This record gives sequence, C-alpha cells and structure tokens, in this order.
Amino acid sequence: MSKKEKSVLRAVVAFAVLFAFAPVANAMHIMEGYLPVSFCIAWGVVCLPFLAAGMISMKKKLKENQRIITLIAMSGAFVFVISSLKIPSVTGSCSHMTGTGLGAILLGPASVSVLGLIVLLFQAILLAHGGLTTLGANTFSMAVAGPFVTFGIYKLCEKCKVNKKLSVFLAACLGDLFTYCVTSLQLSLAYPSEVGGVAASAVKFLGVFAPTQLPLAVIEGILTVIIVIALETYAQPELKAVGFLKEAK
Amino acid sequence: MILIDKMCYRSGLRYMNAEVKFAYTVVTLLICIVSRSLIAAGIVLLANGILTVKRGGIPFALYVKYMLIPLAFLLMSTLALIVNISREPLDAYAILIGSWYLTSSKVSLWFALRQIGSGFASVSCLYFLALNTTMTDILGTLKKIHCPQLLLELMLLIYRFIFVLMDTASAIMTAQRVRLGYEKLRTSLHSFGEMAAALFIRAWKRSNALYDALESRGYDGELRVLEESRAADRKEIAAVIVFEISLIFVIWLAKRIGIE
Repeated sequence: MSKKEKSVLRAVVAFAVLFAFAPVANAMHIMEGYLPVSFCIAWGVVCLPFLAAGMISMKKKLKENQRIITLIAMSGAFVFVISSLKIPSVTGSCSHMTGTGLGAILLGPASVSVLGLIVLLFQAILLAHGGLTTLGANTFSMAVAGPFVTFGIYKLCEKCKVNKKLSVFLAACLGDLFTYCVTSLQLSLAYPSEVGGVAASAVKFLGVFAPTQLPLAVIEGILTVIIVIALETYAQPELKAVGFLKEAK
Repeated sequence: MILIDKMCYRSGLRYMNAEVKFAYTVVTLLICIVSRSLIAAGIVLLANGILTVKRGGIPFALYVKYMLIPLAFLLMSTLALIVNISREPLDAYAILIGSWYLTSSKVSLWFALRQIGSGFASVSCLYFLALNTTMTDILGTLKKIHCPQLLLELMLLIYRFIFVLMDTASAIMTAQRVRLGYEKLRTSLHSFGEMAAALFIRAWKRSNALYDALESRGYDGELRVLEESRAADRKEIAAVIVFEISLIFVIWLAKRIGIE
C-alpha cells in the first residue's frame, strides 16, 4: 500500500466507525440549522396552502361531528408513537417509520398534512428529530408530498383493481421513497454542487442516503401492509367509521 | 418513555419565563444560520452548553448523547457536499478513479466545516428550548403569538395522548419480546405490525371514551387550562438582548478582520 492509499483507508475506517456510533438513522428529517434561512421560509410558504386546506377540511368535518376531534388527535398521537418506536432494520442500526403513509391511507392526505406538522414539531422538541427552522421543509417532504403520493397511488391501485395488499405496499413504499427524493431535492436546491449544479448535487444526496432509505422504504411498505391486514381482521367497525370519515369530507 | 420531556420538568430553568426562552432560542438560531460563522457557533455552543448543563442541571453525558443524534444525517450530507465527481481535479484534493476524479475545492471544504459548526450550534439551541421548557409552556407561548385555535387544541390533545399510547405500546412490545417476538427480522416485522394494529384499536376506543368524558363535563371545542404565567425577569431580558447584540458584534468584528 502506498502512503496515499493508507491515508484513504484510514479515512474510510474512521468514517465507518463514526457511522457505527451514530445512534439513529433518522427517517430523513433535515436537521436543525442545516438549511439557509431563505429556504426555510420558502418551504414553509409552500406548505401553507396544503395546511390551510387541511385545516378547512378538518373544521368542516368537526362542524358536522364534533366527536371526531378526539379521533383526529388520537390518530396524530398514533402516528407520532409509531414513528418514535425503533423498528427492526436490515442493517442492524435502528430506524424509524414515518407513519404518515399509513395515516394518509386511513385518513386521507389533507388531514395528515396538519397532523404531520404537529407530529414533526413534537418530534423536533421531544425526540430531537428534525428542527424548528427546518420544520417547513420537513413538513413539505414528510407531511405533504409523501402522503399525497401515497394516497394517489392507493386510489389509483383501487381504481385499477390491484390486489389490496400490493396496493397498500406500493403506496406506502413509494410514498416513502418520494419523501426521500423530495428531501434530497430540497438539500440539493439549497446546496448545488460546484461541478454540475443542482442536478449533480441531487444525485449525490440521493446516493448518500440511499443505503439507509431504500431498505427503510421497503420495510415501511411491509409494515403498513401488516398493520392494514391486522386492522381489517380486528377492526372492521372502526375502519368503516374511518371510511365514513372520508366520505364526509 | 420520552426522556427529553422528563428532563425539562426537572430543569433548573423550567420556571424561567417561557417567552424569553422562546425568543432567545429563535433569535440565536437565526443568527447561527444567517451568519454561518464558526466563531458564533463556538460561542453559542458554549453558552447553550453552560445554560443547559450548569443552570438547567441536565447530566453532561446525556447532553452529549443528544447532541450526537443528528450525527448520521450530518455525516451523510457533509459527504455529499465535499465529494464531487468530475473530469477536472479541484484544488483541495483529488483521487483518480478511472478517468474521473473524486474531488473537491477548498471553498466547499471550508463551507462544509461551517455547515457542521453552525449545524451543531443550532441543534444546541433546539435542545436549550426542548430540555428546559415544558410542552405546556411552549403551547402557551404559541397561543400568545396567535397560533390557530384548532391547531393548539389538537396539539394539547395529541401531547396528552402520546404518553397514553406510548405506555400501551411499550406494554405490548414487552409482552411480545417475552414471547421472543423480536428474535428475527421476519418475526419482528410481524410483531411490530400486530402491535401497531392493536394500538390503533385501543387508541380508537380511548378516543371515544375520552370524548364521552369531555362532553359530560361540558366540552365545547376548547380545553381551557390554567396557565402559570411567570412574569419575565428584567435581568433575564436584558441578558438575552446583550448576548444577542454582542454575538452579532463578534460576527461583524470577525468578518472585519477577515477570520470566519
């Protein structure tokens, strides 16, 4: 080995060791303070219409039936708890579900955007995942973009009469992947590469996060399927009521 | 359970006025990410460390452990910042692979370093708020800055439910673990899914029961809780203002004499 190779090897080993100590592989929250101020504000503004739509639809539902408020809150807490628990992962490091895909399938994407905002705020303050300044960007990727894709795919599969398990899997998994793509894009828009600009930077961010995020998306898909099956077995009446929730929109 | 939540209730700064803490956190955060100055980052890290560990009484080891949570994200995204693939080598380093270079410029290495520094400083700001302020105080502050009522109502309810559901979830998971439910990847996926479904049903039932209980006590869409408002100490406000101004001054001075 030449001297240079040795030093490269050393760097790689050091990096790997650091990785082994990095406690949690987060579900793609952009960390506090990582985005420039302009981007923090811009993403927050982008989220606003979705949040407003969510609030309006929620208020409408509440007017019809005030009872739903505890249910909506309970669903929010459910998403938080699910996303805060460590899930088994292939790589051995622990990781977390986003849970918003499940929420979108059960409750519809509009309510999930508002719940997602609250859940992300709580995750920042109680679990130190994500942050206050990056709340807007994280809300867009995890509570708006992901759930909307999940819901869209789920509905599309339903229309095409795809097997239910498969459609839930596809919806949750692709929604998760989309979240990861959006986050990478957000990062690369803020930090374009010196060679090749935003596109190259996007490829790089996608690349570095792929090893943790790809298996995670598959696991999220599988777990969502298992949860939905179990719910169908044990919770028929509740599911029907949620379906009623959807119709009442 | 959630350790951060537990810590903030026994923090020495718990009874400090919440709005002052909130303002301090937000302004310091903004200064950190606008300036991206390493000197400011160092000062902020130190200040928050002293405030949280010394004044707040959070164990140092725990504080360090929390500071390392975003490490995985930080390492990976920094990797993306400082590694370029190009045909032309740049000035910091270049490793030839085939006919391409893995390379980076000094400017972007420097930039990545400032990202890391200001990132850690911002995280310490977040922890200052999280580890020293109770969630009810934060909600009270949000109310004062006119956050929508429905949102606050949901936050209050969700905050309450989180602990109820966490209790239930951890009880179920313990029961499953005792029965070797998390031995292999396959079984753990299965167990986790079953637990989540059971959790959802219990959450549902509880939410119904809770609404009954609320309604029988005259619930009309707003939970009114007594707030302990503690008047802001003039000294504290002055200290925060002096700190922020001197922080900005130091950044300005550092720029002036050309060190970042």
